[in-house]
Amino acid sequence: MSKSKYDVQVNPDLCTGCLRCGLACSELYTGAFNPLLARIHVKVSGATCEILFTEECNACGVCADNCFFEALTKTRKEAQA
Amino acid sequence: MSPGGFAGNTIYVDLSTGVIEKRPLDLGLAEKFQGGLGLCIRLAHEAISPGRGALSPENPIVLGTGPLVGTHLPATSRLYAVTKLPTSGTVGWCGSGGVNFACMLKNAGFDHVVIRGRAERPVYLEIFNDDMKIRDAGHLWGKGVEETDAILWEKYGRPTGILAIGQAGENLVPFSMAFVEGLATLGRGGFGAVMGSKNLKAVVARGERGIRVADKKRYKEVSRAFLKSMREYPYLKEWQDLGLVKSFPLVPVEQYKAMKKRRVACVSCPVGCKDVVEIPDGEYRGLVKGTSSVINLYTPVIYGFKDYRESIRFMALLDDYGLDMFEFFGIMGFTAELTRRGIIPAQDVDPEIRVDSLASMSAWAEKISLRRGLGDLLAGGFPGILEALGPEAEPFAPSLVKGMHPYAGPGSSLPWDLFGTMELGQVLDPRGPHVGAGGSPTYFAKRPLEVFPKHLRRMGVPEGALGRILQKGEAEDEEGILRVGRLLRYSHRWFAILGSLGVCARAAINRFYSVSACAEMAEAVTGFPTDPETLELRADRSWTLLRIMNLRDGFSRNKQETLPDRWFREDGFKDYATGDPLRPETVEKMIEDYYGEWGWDLETGAPTPETIARLSLEEESKK
Ligand code: SF4
Ligand code: SF4
Ligand code: SF4
Repeated sequence: MSKSKYDVQVNPDLCTGCLRCGLACSELYTGAFNPLLARIHVKVSGATCEILFTEECNACGVCADNCFFEALTKTRKEAQA
Repeated sequence: MSPGGFAGNTIYVDLSTGVIEKRPLDLGLAEKFQGGLGLCIRLAHEAISPGRGALSPENPIVLGTGPLVGTHLPATSRLYAVTKLPTSGTVGWCGSGGVNFACMLKNAGFDHVVIRGRAERPVYLEIFNDDMKIRDAGHLWGKGVEETDAILWEKYGRPTGILAIGQAGENLVPFSMAFVEGLATLGRGGFGAVMGSKNLKAVVARGERGIRVADKKRYKEVSRAFLKSMREYPYLKEWQDLGLVKSFPLVPVEQYKAMKKRRVACVSCPVGCKDVVEIPDGEYRGLVKGTSSVINLYTPVIYGFKDYRESIRFMALLDDYGLDMFEFFGIMGFTAELTRRGIIPAQDVDPEIRVDSLASMSAWAEKISLRRGLGDLLAGGFPGILEALGPEAEPFAPSLVKGMHPYAGPGSSLPWDLFGTMELGQVLDPRGPHVGAGGSPTYFAKRPLEVFPKHLRRMGVPEGALGRILQKGEAEDEEGILRVGRLLRYSHRWFAILGSLGVCARAAINRFYSVSACAEMAEAVTGFPTDPETLELRADRSWTLLRIMNLRDGFSRNKQETLPDRWFREDGFKDYATGDPLRPETVEKMIEDYYGEWGWDLETGAPTPETIARLSLEEESKK
């Protein structure tokens, strides 16, 4: 994730499983929408939720831009220093 | 530009012979009917032979999504099914927030699935990457929805889409439903029994293909602007947190907050309306339950359950069997009355029916779903019970519409007393009383008529029709008149527009959409030239074809659109705008208004030759 300007933070408690993150990521990097082809994988199972990023994830933050539930947020790296 | 949005294939399976056939989507038909609900109706028109019973192997199930499903446009998640339904005997639509199923079906390569025949043994369908397999479901048969889903997820992983029935569907209970991932239903009217009659326990879908849009640049512009407007909507957070709970005093907000574990949203939905809750204390502490709407979990409270925790416990059981709550409680009340009257011998009624008791209701949900003892008779639904017990029982039955208990109105689960489009829709929707298709501004009680035009324009009501729907009073201070029948015609069309694209029609989402936004999205995604008028025309065509199919099966006005007496008693419905008691003549007039606005014959409800020509349905109307 090091080359990106952003850090992407996750809060699985707020995740609804809407897969908007994966839809946006897959479209950006493969040209077609499919959450299974994304660099983020969200698995909601009743009260539990797991959010994982694949190795190809470059922390571009587009998934966070598409999350309406604050389960993903992005922050500028510089701002944290 | 090649058409986008669609997965591009339809898959046909005959469960009697095991033959599976993949056909490329007919793009001419896709353009003519838009896709989704519209194309489901068209494919059903071809697949259904008139006169065949809902539970016969010849009754096909047509499943489908819409061209926008699978994109990241908001709440483009819907799954539709069209089939003949056992309770009404009519061809009806069933629809659900598709959770993950609809998106996964498309990524498996299919827009539609047509299922015919009856398998010899219980089976489920596995639809993966351009392929379908018929799998043995012996290990799933006899299990509830929750366990079935758990076994299938264990095998296939998440987010595999699952459509499954419980024991009630297996046992052909005509008020059984199918569940999408345990969180949404293809329901009222007996869709679960149609699956059960085919020995079809479940359908699972998952795929690695992707959905492409025809015009990327335009898609980007349209989606960006639309999503921005949703983000900026001042009440978004409130809808996300509370949804309809804020207008349902039945569910105390603090109680809801204390048990809420997670809001769940269908694929692409920025609002979310489904919940996972956990009972925080008491005997059922720790019970986790997912639901299509938390309001459903409180339905038993309407019938007298004193403790909301018992109510949730009971709904978990009812959903697991796959029973329709409105019909179940209606039948329980009816059976209790027949027992009091001695029409059903008291010794057969064990345990005693008490609609406010968890123990009694749980026992009866089981007896009905498994068809044990008297449960077998009750599992016939109102039409089955009345047929078995004869005229003696009839005076004690609630007023029925198309064989079902109306969900809204005097004496119903939702005792709303104003007669708006949803209430009239219970009679005019071909599937019978269902919450889905009749939405309009009358959904919220006593909205002033001045605010209607804004909403009606958004729904695509033409300027010329506004004056026919909202008639001014003669004098300055006189109440305006709302022509509910005419308005309902446009509610149904608006529903068909959203449904054919695959957009959710629930209040939380519908409010953001307009017919012009839909047209822009449809054009960008599919590449078919689409303006609001073409979208409206395609929807008119689809809904009219549904009408034609039912007429073909013998459902004329008199047979289809009968009114319950109960609505016109002193404590019956009131006119939406004036609050005056509703009269049967007024409703008969509304039905004519509805037909007239559609271009259907006022007497019979059949589309006129001019309407058929306008909609280019000549060929379909001959078959
Ligand atoms: S940060 Fe970028 S690459 Fe990583 S998952 Fe999100 S959208 Fe995909
Ligand atoms: S967009 Fe946000 S809420 Fe939706 S699945 Fe991704 S992380 Fe969860
Ligand atoms: S509003 Fe509810 S049913 Fe509709 S798409 Fe969102 S979560 Fe699904």
